Amino acid sequence: MGKFEDLLKNTVDFTLKQGVEEVIARYNQGIDYQIRFSNSMIDIMKRWENDKLELFLVKDQKTTQIEIRSPKMPLIEERILHTVKFLEHLPKNPFYSGMEMEKKPYQKIEGLFDSRIKTFPDKATDNVNAVINTSLEAGAKKVAGVLYFGQNNTELLTSHNIGGNYDDSYYRMTVRSFVDGESSGQDIVCGRNLSNIEKKFNISAENSGKLAVMAVGGKQGIGGTYDVILSPTVAANVFGEITSGANPLLVMLGMSPVSDSIGKKIAPDNLSIEDNALVGDGLGSRPFDVEGKPSLQTPIIENGLLKSFIQNTSTGKNYGCQSTANSEFVGLGIGSKMLAPSPSNMVYKSGDYSLDEIIAESKKPTIYITSNWYTRFTNQLEGIFSTIPRDGLFLIENGEIVKPVRKLRLADNLLRMMSNITAIGKDVKQIAWWEVPTPTFLPTIKVADCNITAATK
Amino acid sequence: MELNKDLADYAVEYGKSLHVDYIEARIVNSRDESYSTRNGQILGAGITPTSGIGIRVLNKGSVGFTSTAKLNRNSIEDAVKNAIKYANANNRKNPIIFSEEKAIQTKWSVPFKIRFEDVPIEEKQKLLADIDAELKKEFKKDLPNRIILMNLNSENKYIVNSDGSCIESELYLPTFHTFNTAKGKNGTEQRFFGRGATAGWEWFSENNLLEGIMNDNRSLIKTAKNAIEMKLGKIDVIVSSEVAGIMAHENVGHPAESDRILGREGAQAGESFYLDLLKEDEIGKIKMGNPEVTIIDDPTMPGSSGFYLYDDECVKAQPRELIKNGMLNELLLNREFAARYDLKSNASARAITYDREPIVRMANTYFKPGSFTLDEMIEDIKEGMYMKSFTEWNIDDRRFQSKYVGLECYIIKDGKITDQMIKRPVLELTTFGILGSVDAVSKDFEAPHGICGKCDPMQGVPVWMGGGQVRMRNIKLGGN
Repeated sequence: MGKFEDLLKNTVDFTLKQGVEEVIARYNQGIDYQIRFSNSMIDIMKRWENDKLELFLVKDQKTTQIEIRSPKMPLIEERILHTVKFLEHLPKNPFYSGMEMEKKPYQKIEGLFDSRIKTFPDKATDNVNAVINTSLEAGAKKVAGVLYFGQNNTELLTSHNIGGNYDDSYYRMTVRSFVDGESSGQDIVCGRNLSNIEKKFNISAENSGKLAVMAVGGKQGIGGTYDVILSPTVAANVFGEITSGANPLLVMLGMSPVSDSIGKKIAPDNLSIEDNALVGDGLGSRPFDVEGKPSLQTPIIENGLLKSFIQNTSTGKNYGCQSTANSEFVGLGIGSKMLAPSPSNMVYKSGDYSLDEIIAESKKPTIYITSNWYTRFTNQLEGIFSTIPRDGLFLIENGEIVKPVRKLRLADNLLRMMSNITAIGKDVKQIAWWEVPTPTFLPTIKVADCNITAATK
Repeated sequence: MELNKDLADYAVEYGKSLHVDYIEARIVNSRDESYSTRNGQILGAGITPTSGIGIRVLNKGSVGFTSTAKLNRNSIEDAVKNAIKYANANNRKNPIIFSEEKAIQTKWSVPFKIRFEDVPIEEKQKLLADIDAELKKEFKKDLPNRIILMNLNSENKYIVNSDGSCIESELYLPTFHTFNTAKGKNGTEQRFFGRGATAGWEWFSENNLLEGIMNDNRSLIKTAKNAIEMKLGKIDVIVSSEVAGIMAHENVGHPAESDRILGREGAQAGESFYLDLLKEDEIGKIKMGNPEVTIIDDPTMPGSSGFYLYDDECVKAQPRELIKNGMLNELLLNREFAARYDLKSNASARAITYDREPIVRMANTYFKPGSFTLDEMIEDIKEGMYMKSFTEWNIDDRRFQSKYVGLECYIIKDGKITDQMIKRPVLELTTFGILGSVDAVSKDFEAPHGICGKCDPMQGVPVWMGGGQVRMRNIKLGGN
């Protein structure tokens, strides 16, 4: 255990003395930074101190979860006493049926922490200004973006004497280049390994700038049925709505399009996706879940078959299977959190095609979507949605990009799209940004016969 | 917990001793109490108090922001020094300037009768249980999945800045949401329903929440059972206050945000098509739609979700007339972007928690009611549609190409609303397409609650969106 061992032990002991039967105590301490830039200048640099203790309490099958910021023992005790009283007033939680009971060794994840993060804040603004210049050199007229980075120490102890600790560090940058108001390109780079970071940033900036230049002169596109090529950024968002539904919590909420699809074929044979918390560079990686269960790799889709859902101990019991070590404190947007399954990293099996090959083989009219936002649903169970392409959007005919287009919307059905995947690229990269909350390693993906719409007035 | 105003004062004094150009400190004690159920059984419940301070500085034309929950002088000094350090590191070519505003020292509070913490926990759970029981009793298997969320937020805040302002506030925000699934002959329909206000616990008994929820679910089930897909030509459309409100918010409120127009949200929420308009002409001379269209954003509406009397930069709140009689009339401004336009701020700066920077936000955005009754708007429609509620919506990041998918929608024929329901009709329209088609606004007023998302990291602020009901002529339904 680490530097918070005594505090966590005292917290768990004190909580148990109040008659609580099971406790999870997780301490998280670190510093997060953000640099926001626009109009080719830095707008603001921020620094957040992260210093919090999260607790999950179970008594007589009643459960609650709290968070204590800047925790010290007297404050922790006061909050626990208050919370235990609150707990007594609650009804039993029928969705809770236990947590991990057995302590097992944790696998060390190489690359979770890069010590160079300690000096990174001193040069981060220089890095951002270099990114801006690279994008401008690639043809952009103005550049916007955001860079997050930071380091955290996480330490866990449960009342079943299960726990551990780990350090992690990360960076995540989105760079968006503009030639004019409607000609833009975006690129994302994220991970934990700071080797050659300036080079990674500048490649991303260059990609973004080039896309913006390619988008110049785009005109209103025409709605209709097209094949679409989804960049990793777009595919992570769109198909992420399916993989995030492979979760008993989403099923229970009525928000999963695959609630009754386990064991069914939902994609072509060459599509395989796993939840994998053990990828070194993955922003969702961790050696154990919040119950202290060692992280695993869980197949979600295997050769096109919906293989399994992610689970924690409670949902696993309800589904008659084991936990997949995906237990986390999960919120419903507002208010307190519950103990429920949550994805770590989604990892797609690489395909065979380069982007150039996918484009070259697109003989039918095809739309290449490089970025998107604002995905919303008419019906989440049925997977009926639309999303709005933004940044470079291109029409492909006879295997070549013929022109940039604008002002179109992808309005389709998630399940139909997944079953209509016709090509999977080999350009796997990690995506995590505003529109993709679960870090996802995936390539470019092509889908046949998608519905593209445009405004009628 | 007592609000430690002295620490915020100390932060500003300490910053001044370091000769920073501008510093503000915002110390906040907040408390969230929440309950969620599925089909009457508890999913989650908890009480989360949070305290912390956010420090923002403007130095040498650059901004730095830090926050800490360690409320002692040493941590505050570190937070101030770091904010200055990071501002100085930014190396901007064009300095940021804040508009000069009158220094204000005051206190304000949301009027309330009953504090949330004074209500027994059992009474709060009973409210959820009773609502779910009513839903189950009336709708049985027609409503197989019922999710209810209630959050009771209270917040004490003290903002002080080096320009001489200091404002203390007390706010209570109850919100109630349902996400339900109804089963019909041909599948399911889903609906996210939200209500909220600034008020104490009394809001639940004084605003017939149960009746609103029951009516909403009656509509949901009716739609699931009766709505059929129809191909319609060019028709007239009347949208309810709920649909008009989301249009006012998305198509007019967001593009009027000055930080978007001037690019600061470029990589996140996006820019604004107003940028192009303002290159061609000036505010007051740009036609956005028909003269019947007046759209207002007003934080001073008593009891509204977006209510405040002073913004998070200590500027006195005021209604903003974004579009007046069809003409672009006003933008949403904070101090940074007011200075860029050589104007005063109109108090649009909001931060959702102590550890977020204040940015330009809406409050309560609505179509100003007109002079018509709903019947009068319907009576001269030969072929049309009445869209009472919506499900899916989205809009491009320049806020021009929008989509609203109807839920409860009826055919209008020869001046009357018929019983014929249309399944999932799509309004896929540009902002000009909407505002240029409006020829009547009703005199009634309704404004549902919503959470407006913007910024990175995301700041979801409570708002109302509504106004009168709106008639639009010659609309071709789009989408699928």
